[in-house]
Amino acid sequence: MQSIRVTVQLENDKYTLRQVFKIVSKENLGSYSCSFGDEAKADFLLAGPQIGEVRDKPIVSYVGDSVVVKCKMDEKKPKPASWNWYKANGTDKEQIFYAAEPQKYEIKNHEWVTKLVVHKLTEGDSGFYYCEGVYAVSTTMGHVELKVITFLEPLKPFIAIIVEVIVLVAAILIYEKSQSKKNSAGGNETNADQTNTPTPGDNNGPEESSSTRQRKV
Amino acid sequence: MLSVLDMNNHGPKAKSHSGEAEGPNGDWSWVLVGALFISTGLVFGLMRIMGIFFVEFVNYFEESSQSISWITSISLATQQFFSPVATALCNAYETRAVVMTGGFLSGLGLIAASQATCLVHLYLSMGVITGLGWALVFTPMMATVVANISQRRALALGLGLSSIGIFSFTLSPLFQLLVEMYTWRGALLIMGGLSLNIMVCGALIRPQWCSKALKKVDSKPRSSCATVLRRVSSYLELPVLLERPYLTYTATITIFNAGYFVPYVHLVALSRMTGFSEYQAAFIMSATGVTDILGRVTTGWFSDLGYFRTIHLLSLWVVLAGLFIILLPVSSLTGSYAALMAISLLYGFCSGALSSLVFAVMPMIVGVERVMGALGLLQLIESGAGLLGAPLSGLLKDMTGNYTVSFIVAGSFLIVGTLIMTTLPHYFSRTDPPPPHRVPHDVKDRGVHLELEHINNSPSDTSPKGAQ
Repeated sequence: MQSIRVTVQLENDKYTLRQVFKIVSKENLGSYSCSFGDEAKADFLLAGPQIGEVRDKPIVSYVGDSVVVKCKMDEKKPKPASWNWYKANGTDKEQIFYAAEPQKYEIKNHEWVTKLVVHKLTEGDSGFYYCEGVYAVSTTMGHVELKVITFLEPLKPFIAIIVEVIVLVAAILIYEKSQSKKNSAGGNETNADQTNTPTPGDNNGPEESSSTRQRKV
Repeated sequence: MLSVLDMNNHGPKAKSHSGEAEGPNGDWSWVLVGALFISTGLVFGLMRIMGIFFVEFVNYFEESSQSISWITSISLATQQFFSPVATALCNAYETRAVVMTGGFLSGLGLIAASQATCLVHLYLSMGVITGLGWALVFTPMMATVVANISQRRALALGLGLSSIGIFSFTLSPLFQLLVEMYTWRGALLIMGGLSLNIMVCGALIRPQWCSKALKKVDSKPRSSCATVLRRVSSYLELPVLLERPYLTYTATITIFNAGYFVPYVHLVALSRMTGFSEYQAAFIMSATGVTDILGRVTTGWFSDLGYFRTIHLLSLWVVLAGLFIILLPVSSLTGSYAALMAISLLYGFCSGALSSLVFAVMPMIVGVERVMGALGLLQLIESGAGLLGAPLSGLLKDMTGNYTVSFIVAGSFLIVGTLIMTTLPHYFSRTDPPPPHRVPHDVKDRGVHLELEHINNSPSDTSPKGAQ
């Protein structure tokens, strides 16, 4: 811990301590404090910009599809000079090099936002991805989780629903067929009045059929 | 008074019709309402929660939200535009087949959308195919319920339409979860599967309820062009366009449409502009949805009690809704969350109330037999106003910088529409006038019909058709 002693003069009934520090590298970051004897003390923490919003839910995508993993720095803070992307490999982080596998990875950087596009996803691509914003004096890291699933996953509830629809439709149609068989056993009147009476679904059987015959005349 | 209304609605069929609602078909009528409930929910409820996919689409396809919002516009426009085609098909063939085909198409569109690789795919699948499917479902189901339920019709409609709010309320968090688990592709796939349940609803429609198809069995040869054209025009119910009551009513509803949707589209934006957070704004929308459901059901029940004419109640709710729409930006000027919430709740209630009554009034204007085609044409004509209403209010907002003018214009559309509605014949009478009976094309039939009307208009006649 370094110490600097400064003598201050009384100005307008106040003692003001002002010191200029040049932040050249990472070593210059950290906590600073000033004290006035035992009477006043102030602490400052100098740090590089940190990535604020991190998506807590995993990004989901399908095998064979491509996905965009995004990292954003708060626009109120300075722009990072560059961005790096890492993929978690066990406990290590392996850097993704754009040039190494151009078919697989694409890195698009634009001011405060960096996007990692991963093509031709496989299930092995699941896991944590780290984006690192690089400044002259510090770096900051954010992370996003990617989950790759096959299309079988949503297919299971979908097939369940299809089966339910088929079963219900079949049940309704079969029920109705059995009902109409019962009705037709009661006579042919229902058929006659269906063709000639404007009233829908009328069950006044005998009465209707007699009027139908009369009307034809 | 209810039985008088019944008589006036159905003339010669009064006895048998009231028998239908309470007799052996009575229970089945409520099954039909249930089918309307599910199918309407799966059409408009799903349409309302399409917004969940917007953010996903914008990110995935890297398109503007304007281009993405066209998807919903296309599906709504297709649904309304093809309504007359749907109802004509029902008049020509079986309603059951039409609705089941519609259910299949709407599911197919969503399933195809889950495989989309570009925005145009989405326009065609989620927009056109699903929209077409919805057209084949909504108006036919509405018309079937309206034509076949005479007692407690407004309540049946209110219950059936309440599903829009209920479905969008409950399915919204569900689909949010599905999008998180399976991304939008998986969620759309499952949504398509759910839509196929409309086929179950369609299966519940009994063939004998479609009266027109069966009436059309005649022995004339079908070869002549004129006959075919006449048939098509009768399936589409085109002659109804020449009647003043129908035209007045359609004009009224069209003007309503121009203002009615504006709060749904812009209320969240208005709340955000007033300074409330995303969650507060979303909560206002949800709460408005709840009062919307309440409005539909209670007004249906109240209207059926018969103390007032349905058309008067409709006018009341429309005027109130218009007033509350105008008050919305005024209440937001006060900056109070409670005030905005209160007016929104009241607006929700009135808008729900008017939306079910709009359909309930139709049979009193064109008669029960023509309801199918009349509703189809109405949907088509009102679609223009619906399409123009929201962009117009957006334009007004861009020009003036806030939503005050757009909401005031929207509210005044509703009030102006009501004024036009007062020009309907017999508007100011205490009881419903008898609806027009469909005049058949064939002169011979007309003679027989008139004879029957004479005979059947004596209410004390217990055997309506046996007097010959």
